[in-house]
Amino acid sequence: MSFDAPNFDFLMSLGIFALVMLGFFVLVIGLSMLGSFMTYGTGGFGVVMQNFQRALIDFFSISPKRIGAIADLTIKESIRKKTLLVFVIFAILFMFAGWFIGGTTDRPDLQVRVLVSFVLKTISWLVLIVIPLLACWGLPTDIKIRSLHTVITKPVRRNEVYLGRLLGYSAVGTGVLAIMGLVGYIWIVRQTPTAAQKELISRVPVYGLMNFTDRFGREGTGINVGYEWDFRSYIEGGTKSKTIYLFDGLSSDSLKSNYSARKAKYDKALQANAESAPPEPGVLNLEYNFEAFRAYKGTLDKRLSARLILVNPDDEKVRVPLPVFEVKEFSRFNEEKLIAVPEEITYRDEESQQLKTANLFTDIMPKGNLKVEVECLDPGQYLGMARPDLFIRMPDKYFATSYFKSIFGIWLQLTLMIMLAVTASCFVKGPVATLLTFSLVLVGMTPLSTMMFQMLQGQIEGGGPAEAIYRMWAHMNPSVEIQAGAFSYFLKIIDGIALGFLAVAFFIVPGFVNFRMVEYTANGFDVPWMSSLLPAIAITLGYVIPCLVIGYCSLTLREMEAK
Amino acid sequence: MSQSTEPVIQIRNLSKIYRDFWGRKKVEAVKSLSLDVKPGEIFGLLGPNGSGKTTTMKMLLGLLFPSSGDIKVLGKPAHDVEKNERIGYLPEESYLYRFLNAEETLDFYGRLFKMSPQQRRQRRDELIEMVGIKHARKRQLKEYSKGMTRRIGLAQALINDPELVLLDEPTSGLDPLGTRDMKDLISRVREQGKTVVMCSHLLADVQDVCDRIAILYNGELKVLGDVSELLKEQEETELLTSKLSPEALKDVQAVLDKHKVKLHKAGQPSSSLEELFLRTVQTSKERPGRRIVQEDLKSGTGVS
Ligand SMILES: Nc1ncnc2c1ncn2[C@@H]1O[C@H](COP(=O)(O)OP(=O)(O)OP(=O)(O)O)[C@@H](O)[C@H]1O
Ligand SMILES: [Mg+2]
Repeated sequence: MSFDAPNFDFLMSLGIFALVMLGFFVLVIGLSMLGSFMTYGTGGFGVVMQNFQRALIDFFSISPKRIGAIADLTIKESIRKKTLLVFVIFAILFMFAGWFIGGTTDRPDLQVRVLVSFVLKTISWLVLIVIPLLACWGLPTDIKIRSLHTVITKPVRRNEVYLGRLLGYSAVGTGVLAIMGLVGYIWIVRQTPTAAQKELISRVPVYGLMNFTDRFGREGTGINVGYEWDFRSYIEGGTKSKTIYLFDGLSSDSLKSNYSARKAKYDKALQANAESAPPEPGVLNLEYNFEAFRAYKGTLDKRLSARLILVNPDDEKVRVPLPVFEVKEFSRFNEEKLIAVPEEITYRDEESQQLKTANLFTDIMPKGNLKVEVECLDPGQYLGMARPDLFIRMPDKYFATSYFKSIFGIWLQLTLMIMLAVTASCFVKGPVATLLTFSLVLVGMTPLSTMMFQMLQGQIEGGGPAEAIYRMWAHMNPSVEIQAGAFSYFLKIIDGIALGFLAVAFFIVPGFVNFRMVEYTANGFDVPWMSSLLPAIAITLGYVIPCLVIGYCSLTLREMEAK
Repeated sequence: MSQSTEPVIQIRNLSKIYRDFWGRKKVEAVKSLSLDVKPGEIFGLLGPNGSGKTTTMKMLLGLLFPSSGDIKVLGKPAHDVEKNERIGYLPEESYLYRFLNAEETLDFYGRLFKMSPQQRRQRRDELIEMVGIKHARKRQLKEYSKGMTRRIGLAQALINDPELVLLDEPTSGLDPLGTRDMKDLISRVREQGKTVVMCSHLLADVQDVCDRIAILYNGELKVLGDVSELLKEQEETELLTSKLSPEALKDVQAVLDKHKVKLHKAGQPSSSLEELFLRTVQTSKERPGRRIVQEDLKSGTGVS
């Protein structure tokens, strides 16, 4: 899992959203115009305007009381139809889970990870299947047994029916999720052995930008040591090959307050039990997660040594090498991978070889920018890292923070799924609504986006689907040009259409990938706002209006009788 | 009953064609129907099974969309939601939520109207009492018998104290007591100046309570008019007395003879609406596509 999620570009997303909405409304209005012109001839325009007016009235005179009544009904229905049996499954799973996922006490960090991801995944599977299923079948059943008929002979607007259902299922889901979340939390805390309790944290990382220099000190990329998945790039030991991390926007105040908080905690722990106390914190705490790649065995029980150099990016003459450290790649505890930097650093200057002191805030990062160079000191060995592998650790938050943020992430996904389910159930029957909802989720979960994006931008060699099929059939290498002419033109048109559909799908399928927060929590990180929660919230909100419009239109235009 | 006020229901050239998914025509359930229902009257919609009564009612409520024609209910088009504030509807079968109990059912429907919680509670208790399911008020509807479901369905239709009540076969499934209660209730509703439109197959009941009727056959309006007018035989006079002994009957005969009046029939009174109905259906079968006038019925090959 990579924590290297880019920050959410709110403006761009808003722009795309506006465009898609524009397209959506143009489509809705266009289709209704077309439909009514076909049915009513030239009078069609009037009919559309009339309906549009009706819709506006319906939207501005919705009554919370009636929506509440329908939501209430939905909740009662869910309860009386024994939906809450889902708790029984939950309870059974948890009663016996302890047997299977205990026992890894020699790696407390792993144990915590297993516990947390077990709990969060169980909860999301249960909740995200049961409640949306319920939502998929609710309205169609209501229509099928005609109980909805009686309701809409009362002064109820169709959008109230929609909203009531939506709210009802969300309330049921929220209740179920809240209880499960709470129980899960208590379960995790109680199942975690004492030795591993300190792994129940949420670390708050600040990431920088990453660059490499090659063995001659020139700007370059890292080395691929031959792994297929090149998540980490490597630097060569004993050469000028370095990784350079650039951090910016650091505030000395927050670092200082971070320090005093940590220091107080540390002092307390020291007083309580000097042996099990955590390492002394620094003003700046860097945590690494490097991976060693040994080109030769060397001394097996000796770890690779590495060194960090702090550099003032605005005045490159200020270079402060920190003490050499051993890379503890298989450490059990995160805190053993912490490098604590005090405010006043005494170091040996690289050029003059004299002892000097530097102040972290005034000398190294007066403008809040910091450059950290990573060197591997063992010649011939390699040290691998990715952007998220070195970060500044801000004050930790309680484990509960991250845990409940993950629960909130599940809740967002649940809400969005219910929204899709209720909307689908406005115009198709239960089984189809189920299929539709869950396929949207599956497609949305698949992180195809990069490839799709490249394909859409024509960056992938060999063209679109039609061209690719032709090439396969003709045994043609992707780099060979297809002879220009009517045929290649034809292929291009087909591909254009296919890619058009793909683009539309790309923009309208909800990006469920963004709702994955469990990994952060399981790995002891806080769930970041900018790159995870905010996009999830924005995506969920983005679907409210189109879903409401589609649901309302299908319920209104639909003759309840025609099943 | 012919007040010159605006009709409560105004149907003009109403047609309904049921189509399948592909838009192909399946049934023409209602064919260019026009009729008015006046305020304060009890209007009976009659016709054999499948003649389009329920379809018409559903179109009045906006549950079905007319294929052509116009509807005004309480002065509003059928799709208008606001008008439902003043309408009560008892569907053909009570389509209710079976997991709710009687109290919850009425409370739920009450919440859909502009009613305060106290009003709702009061109305709920009144109606439960009135339709006679007080003993089962806490039981879920799925445990109800057909008649009980019918009763709660009726209560539901009256929850908002409606001005216009549409009853689709109100007495189906009810026991004789319930049937009588229903008739009483309808009369009471009329006394309050409300309008009732009902479908029923129990012609004796219709004859008892309805002011005007329409008979549909195959989606077409065949007969429309005041019950008393329709059933009045211009050339006959009806005397209804308490039971006459044979001697008394002989005396009456003597009096009639004196006036040269012929006694057509003596015996228990029969529900003549039934006759009218049967004759209408028969005539319609024989001469499709024609509106029936009184003369047809009289000269036609009436079934009697
Ligand atoms: N949903 C539907 N789809 C297709 N045809 C329908 C539908 N509902 C009713 N019909 C048809 O419309 C015609 C009129 O039906 P309707 O239910 O209005 O009759 P009705 O007069 O109420 O009969 P009944 O006395 O049996 O209640 C019938 O031919 C029926 O088959
Ligand atoms: Mg019917």
